[in-house]
Amino acid sequence: MDKSKTAKELASDRVYYFIRIAVLLSVVFLFVPALNPSRICGLINKNLSLFTSGVAYSTLTADFGRAFRKGWVAKSSIQILYASSLAVCLGIAANAASGCMSLGNIKFKKLGNLISLVGSIVELAGMAGIYTAYGQVAATSKPKRVEPMFPGCFWLVAAVFALILAATVIQIVMMAKSKSEEKFEMETKFRLFLMFLPFIALVAVFSYLPLWGWRYAFFDYKVGDTLTMDKFVGFKWFTELVKNPATVRDIVNVLKNTLGMSFIGLATSWLPMAFAIFLCEMKNIKFRRFVQTFTTVPNFISWVLVYAIAFCIFSTDGFVSSLLVNLGIWQEGQNLLMDGSHTWFKMWLWGTWKGVGWSAIIYISAISGIDQQLYEAATVDGAGRFQKMWNITVPSLIPTFFVLFLMAVANILSNGMDQYLVFKNATNANSILVLDLYVYELGIGKGSIPLTTVVSMLKSIISVVLLFGANGVSKLLRGESII
Amino acid sequence: MAKTAQEKADAKAEKLYKKTHKRKYAMSPGDILFEVLNYLVFTLFTIACIFPFYYLFINTISNNDMVLKGTINFIPRGIHLGNYLALLNVGDLSTSFLVSVTRTILGTALMVMASALVGYLVTKQEMWGRKFWYRFLVVTMYFNAGIIPVFLNMQMLGLTNSFWVYIIPGIVAPYNIILVKTYIESIPSDLEESASIDGASHMTIFRKIIWPLCKPILATIAIFGAVGHWNSFTDSLIYMQSAPNLYTLQHRLYIYLNQASNLKSLMQSGGAVSEAAIQSALSGKIIKYTISMVTVIPILLVYPFMQRYFEEGIMLGAVKG
Repeated sequence: MDKSKTAKELASDRVYYFIRIAVLLSVVFLFVPALNPSRICGLINKNLSLFTSGVAYSTLTADFGRAFRKGWVAKSSIQILYASSLAVCLGIAANAASGCMSLGNIKFKKLGNLISLVGSIVELAGMAGIYTAYGQVAATSKPKRVEPMFPGCFWLVAAVFALILAATVIQIVMMAKSKSEEKFEMETKFRLFLMFLPFIALVAVFSYLPLWGWRYAFFDYKVGDTLTMDKFVGFKWFTELVKNPATVRDIVNVLKNTLGMSFIGLATSWLPMAFAIFLCEMKNIKFRRFVQTFTTVPNFISWVLVYAIAFCIFSTDGFVSSLLVNLGIWQEGQNLLMDGSHTWFKMWLWGTWKGVGWSAIIYISAISGIDQQLYEAATVDGAGRFQKMWNITVPSLIPTFFVLFLMAVANILSNGMDQYLVFKNATNANSILVLDLYVYELGIGKGSIPLTTVVSMLKSIISVVLLFGANGVSKLLRGESII
Repeated sequence: MAKTAQEKADAKAEKLYKKTHKRKYAMSPGDILFEVLNYLVFTLFTIACIFPFYYLFINTISNNDMVLKGTINFIPRGIHLGNYLALLNVGDLSTSFLVSVTRTILGTALMVMASALVGYLVTKQEMWGRKFWYRFLVVTMYFNAGIIPVFLNMQMLGLTNSFWVYIIPGIVAPYNIILVKTYIESIPSDLEESASIDGASHMTIFRKIIWPLCKPILATIAIFGAVGHWNSFTDSLIYMQSAPNLYTLQHRLYIYLNQASNLKSLMQSGGAVSEAAIQSALSGKIIKYTISMVTVIPILLVYPFMQRYFEEGIMLGAVKG
């Protein structure tokens, strides 16, 4: 803007800030079930957001089968509710669009105001519809079954909508006249930002919003409950982790497995490097490419398929058994997978089978980048094969190795759960349970949500600390950061 | 036929190797021992990597009676495709196959388009709050709320038991965005500048210049994305608890593998198992092998053509922006 703004324009800008915040708030109403104004009776699932109630009629009426048949609730009132929720959703969408338009020039703003006006009127009409539907549902013959309830956030939501309407009216009154030949225009910085906005929203919803779920760590919560302040228990679940003997036993065992397997991994993390060095010692390039191609394949199959492979080789009627039985060495087939001994080692072996060829690629390309004159000079000086490997190749690979090693240290608590889940059975259940799998079983399997949240929370925090620690070490020793 | 870049590089490496390793003396016994051991170890490991797939394959196409007797170990006999045809009649399997194919195509396409667009946008200095929003995006690679908070979040959004949980959370992939951004930054900026002097808008520049030039990196992230989608199993396990019709193929395979092994353990413990159950457990072996094969075939088919991109992919990981 080249010309300085008049007082009127400044005031208009301020009102726009207010409108944008209010619109953002109403978008939040759209997706947060706790703030769903259309939950007018207990039959409506409490995990239903306003968006879902306005879009999916079948989800909204999922629990109404009996109520409809017995005539406790008239179908028409729920249809009113559905239509009204849909209207509110559309109104919020319109407001959001106008909020984006308010970043443009006057012509954009004018159109935006008009849309916002229509949007907020539709929203308020929707709220009125919800109110009507509530009135009808509240008059039910079976209040105990239907549990009519006035949504606690109704007036809050309505107030926000009304404020948006009022502010929009103010804007329309205050808005300067635009020249008729003016086109829709927006500053580049805002145009680019608006293109970016949907992706920011996705990240906010799927990466940041879950952090809000950490509050479950401080409540007594069971699946299907609502969170109320009387269930607040402070740090009870944190102390449970160190006080309750059964939990302590579990956690100690799980940590033992997690760290044990991670340490085996760390102790053998030089293996891909050795793989690459020895592979590059082979003179036959065609054979080298052949080996490289086929040892990389297992990296691209899922752990379920690795288990399928393990199954076809090692199960009761798999390859090993049928071969040994046919040769007369074994009387009958044995299921080698149902053997609980050396679990850590076996898991490491499967991980290596799957990953070593792939991990070696980065070292192979690092080796091809080593200056060949070094080798020539060493040969002239009479260095043998192993001397060259140890004194030239290995030192050139150490920086790469170091970075990967530090990343592995940072991930020491995250072994992933796929591998251990698929290979788990009755005989190895105790020694295969790693942290990620434990959290899955405790949370999804047993529904022990607060405790799992505590564990997840601690794990996330420790992982971040380890990552920054590793980064610090890298900066200190190499002067380069790894993240 | 023109040589591919890979072949050229190989030939160059071979030449270089011959030049630098010119042997003045005959191989010593130690050298010979080393060579033999080296080739032996790598040959064995390569066999260990390929043979299971081969074994699986020959057991699905061989005569079923011989397979059940365990006589098909190295050479297929009585070749037929009946097992694969029989799978067509397993209803839940074709549904799962369809789910997996759809999510792979749709999820990958959306992820690639989003990565390209976002990668382009974050290189634009003019964008309002560029630095902040870029960091906002990238930081998410380093923390994770944990499986349960994420699950509750999905539930709150109504995404549990819905196909969209496979697609939407994966659209924005920070790591891929970094890769695209780094790649775009390596493109000479003159191209963009001259286009914008000619009056091209940002979207035009993106469509006409950035997108075509970025095709190599987009192919790489597409192939990794597709493999990830095809292989993903835990999201189906966690989010589809009451929607079995939306299980992915991997999840279905997991269920099949476990069903049969449960039957088998019943048989071993000598419990009262009907003859029919034993029969189905036995032929279950063939069904399992065949489903495994169906699940792995797309990867094996795609792999030889895409190997170049796979290898480029891991190298790109070394360059970060």
